[in-house]
Amino acid sequence: MALAAILLLMLIGFCAGGFGALAGVGGGIIITPLLAIYFGLPMHQAIGVTLLCVIATSTATSALYVERHVTDVRLGMTLELATTAGALIAALVAHSVNRRTLAVLFACFLLYSSGSMIKKAWASRNAKREESVPDYTPRNYPVGLAASFIAGGFSGLLGIGGGPIKVPVMFLFMKVPLRVAAATSNFMIGVTAATSAYVYWGRGDVRTDIAAPLVAGVFAGSMLGARISSKVRSFYILILVVSITGWLAIQMIYKLLTGGFQ
Amino acid sequence: MSRQDVAADRVLSHTLKLGAYAALALIVGGLMLQSVAPWGAKVTAGGLLVLLATPVLRIVVACIQFLRERDLKYALVSFGVLAIVLLAYFLGVQA
Repeated sequence: MALAAILLLMLIGFCAGGFGALAGVGGGIIITPLLAIYFGLPMHQAIGVTLLCVIATSTATSALYVERHVTDVRLGMTLELATTAGALIAALVAHSVNRRTLAVLFACFLLYSSGSMIKKAWASRNAKREESVPDYTPRNYPVGLAASFIAGGFSGLLGIGGGPIKVPVMFLFMKVPLRVAAATSNFMIGVTAATSAYVYWGRGDVRTDIAAPLVAGVFAGSMLGARISSKVRSFYILILVVSITGWLAIQMIYKLLTGGFQ
Repeated sequence: MSRQDVAADRVLSHTLKLGAYAALALIVGGLMLQSVAPWGAKVTAGGLLVLLATPVLRIVVACIQFLRERDLKYALVSFGVLAIVLLAYFLGVQA
């Protein structure tokens, strides 16, 4: 591959990883549509490459959050029973789902994620920073496990981490503090994405030439993003990321309506 | 959070860092080598394989930590997750 292309992919990975870590979303929702719309990659390949980026984000950010004891490893491990099961089933099925259907599902997920980020941005506009994590005991495991199974399914099907599904469920139904929910979701997405990545890799849907520079960028971006996340006002980051995901959603819908993603 | 949990978090965090830096070094090194030597691509692919292996490693390390804390319930849970992930690996290899 040309040097310019390698550097461009590294830059995209750096931005997606950095913004993702700052906004608390995996970079996946940015990378898959970018690859599918602007690089002309078939959806299955775009998803396969993104799964590796999700593992990279999870590994880089979790190293820091686990060190700071924000991640609830026991809760994460329990819910992973459901996310990995969902991801495995979905990854096996994904191969027989046609590209346009995947693109429609992905566009819906982009709109949903954009909506939930706007809500989060609105809530965070005057919020004070949470200094310490309050005591809690996770509740409602059946609801958490069911939501995790669905989030895992979406991860295997669309290559995303599924954070926008798991984090609200952990926060609202399991009564886990938001920071812990976000960090725990970050921990889980690596294991979930790896489960589907093995299936995609085995089928030859992971383009290593595209994945390598992207992953390198994502690593650097998310390490930096996670490190400075406590010092940056999340409001502006969220607005920026919503603008990107909103734009990508419009592009995907436009391409679908004009007969793309065949 | 118990002192054992704090220590377990440190071990897990070091594992994640080690995996991240090893994968990053191999990928970047491979990408640079690729322009002068054709076997550079193999180094890059090796980096991606390290990346793919880190999630399994983190489950194994967590499982060992739970066993050391005599927390059989969560050791068993980790073992269950490991079983599903390894099943995905073998199904993936066959595909």
